[in-house]
Amino acid sequence: MRVTGNRMIDLATGATASGQARVASSAQEVTSGMRVTRPSDDPSAYIAAERAKLHRNLVDGSTRAVQTSRDRLDQVDAALAGIGDVISQIRSLAIQGVSATYNASDRAQIAEQVHSLTRTAIGAGNVRAVDGEYLLAGSASLSAPFSSTGAYTGNADTRDVSTSATSSVRATISGADLTAANGGVDVIPLMERVFSALATNDTAALAGTLDELAKAVEQVGLARTRVGGSMAVLDATVLAHGELTESLTTTISNAVEVDSIAAASNLAKASQALEVSRTVSSHLIALLKLA
Amino acid sequence: MSNLLSLLSLGSNAIQAQNTGLSIATNNVANVNTRGYSRQRVDLHALMGAPLVGGVTAGSPERLQDNLLAGRIRTAGGSLSMSTAFHQALLDVESRMTSSGPTIHEQLGKLAARMTELTATPTDTITRDTVISAARDVNSGIRRRAAELDTAQEEANARIQEKAAQVSTLAIRLSQTNLQVQKSGDGALRDERDRIANQLSELTGGTARIDGDGHMRFVLDGGAMLVDGNNAAALRPILDPATGDQRLEVVAGTLRRDVTANITRGSIGADLQVRDSVIVKARDDLDQLAFDISSAYNTAHRANAGLDGVSGRNMFTQPTQVAGAAKAMALDPALDADPNVLATAAPGGAVGDNAGAKALLTVASGNVATGGKTLVGAALDIVSSIGIAASEAKSDIYRDTLFHENLAGLRDSLSGVDIQEELSNLARFEHATSAMTRFVATVDGLLGELINRL
Repeated sequence: MRVTGNRMIDLATGATASGQARVASSAQEVTSGMRVTRPSDDPSAYIAAERAKLHRNLVDGSTRAVQTSRDRLDQVDAALAGIGDVISQIRSLAIQGVSATYNASDRAQIAEQVHSLTRTAIGAGNVRAVDGEYLLAGSASLSAPFSSTGAYTGNADTRDVSTSATSSVRATISGADLTAANGGVDVIPLMERVFSALATNDTAALAGTLDELAKAVEQVGLARTRVGGSMAVLDATVLAHGELTESLTTTISNAVEVDSIAAASNLAKASQALEVSRTVSSHLIALLKLA
Repeated sequence: MSNLLSLLSLGSNAIQAQNTGLSIATNNVANVNTRGYSRQRVDLHALMGAPLVGGVTAGSPERLQDNLLAGRIRTAGGSLSMSTAFHQALLDVESRMTSSGPTIHEQLGKLAARMTELTATPTDTITRDTVISAARDVNSGIRRRAAELDTAQEEANARIQEKAAQVSTLAIRLSQTNLQVQKSGDGALRDERDRIANQLSELTGGTARIDGDGHMRFVLDGGAMLVDGNNAAALRPILDPATGDQRLEVVAGTLRRDVTANITRGSIGADLQVRDSVIVKARDDLDQLAFDISSAYNTAHRANAGLDGVSGRNMFTQPTQVAGAAKAMALDPALDADPNVLATAAPGGAVGDNAGAKALLTVASGNVATGGKTLVGAALDIVSSIGIAASEAKSDIYRDTLFHENLAGLRDSLSGVDIQEELSNLARFEHATSAMTRFVATVDGLLGELINRL
């Protein structure tokens, strides 16, 4: 095949231009750290990275939801702990009140304490989240669940929070756990009954509340156990989400980011090829000049 | 005496022949860097004379060029031009769908994440606001991308219009060059004609042929004749009122022929394919996505109740048809005005119930889009399919460049000027001219001597 000088120069120029493009592309990868910045760079890598990013966003959303629920359970636990303390105190006062050494006046004084403690318990039962939602109201969460008399006006609904596309965990308990709904006692109305017995100096009725108060302490403890169980599940979920997020970040990184060592090596190779191409071009031009 | 005169004549002819060779070689060297130039060659023929005197004469200069190869180069040029322009246009569409802010799939992903948060705090005003804000972003994102596709379509139409005008101008030049070639047959004119034909092929992907009458004819795919000898047709853009697109007609006198569907190669073919296939598909997919988003969310939203306990309300304005759904997409005005309208609770249930929020989350993560895809997946597929097409077009450029380069090498092998070769030719012709000049001088001296002795 006849090869002209111009053709040789064209080929050498083409090789140099292509070498320069490779060096520019490799340098861009090394400096930006990104191998894929748009779908056409590597469609399958782009799709894999975008799917992983979307999954990570969902996980992040779910983590925020779980964290919010976890914070709320902390509030609920503190409220239940407060109610539990109140019941224990009221039970101690009731035991004192039953004692024959106390008279009506003494019991009236104790009744005042019980009344104050009951207000505290009602306040704790009407605990609210930062957005104003009542945390122990079930799904009737925009109204206070415990009336001034301690009657429960909420419902027994609980709320699940999605932890993934297919699963969810229970993230609330309702104030119904403090009522007789499931074979327990009506905890706060019981306090009112203690108050009434003390206020009316009815020691028999007061004695009758002692066992129920003991049950109420257990009932609140049981509710706290449920809350603790949910908190543990939520904590585990946050932990699992953290690991999943890390794994997804690795997937994204592997798909679209450059391996710095490989990229540096590619840049070195491309630079060397360009240098060779330039040397060939200059030799060729010198040769043609001599001719 | 008569023999000496014959020798003088032989010498004169020989000098003329060598000078022809010199001028051809010089012309070749002068055009060494002229794009599309085909080198010329002159063959010298020995003259057979009576017993002792012969001589030499130069034949007509021959233009070293292969019409078959030239045709293959034009075809390859049309393909390369097509893949290059197609790749560029696809990158433009891809950029319009992915750059300048979050993509639609990212916005849908954000909405899904906000929906997840909504299941935990369905009554929280801030959470409800962020969900509505994310829905607004999806809505504005889809409308913006739909508008970008419209712009890409307008630009493709403008390019088609501009290139059609170029084709018409080149067709006239080709017909005029045909006429000039017919008159003079000059090699430079033939080269010019080839260059024009190459440009036409790069624009339209059409083919040129040189018939027995020496005329070049340029034919578009599908058979429409653009240049027939000295006659040129025009490639005229005609606005299609139904689509708003430019259609292309070959107009020759009163004859008109729609060739829009026939031009599938060249850079015009690329613009047509981007406009009529890529953008149309992206727009259809976007309309389908907008329709699916609105319909699926509306179904879930209508079935549940807002904080005011009212159910049966849409989340987005319900589109009446798929076509145009993207551009018409809008958040339901009631929801846009009041976040309490967001249906997070079961109808008849308490306000803190999150059944509605969970139903909306099911839409966000479920396979509710056409084709059994998730909404996010369908949105990702729109940009991915454009990216895949652009990536394939890049491979096509590589393939077409290799093929075109190979043919260019073959052409150069036949038609390219090699300076060393031409300098050798110059030296050969120069030496021969010098020798013949001396020969003529010698014969002239002999004749002078003879005349003096007479």
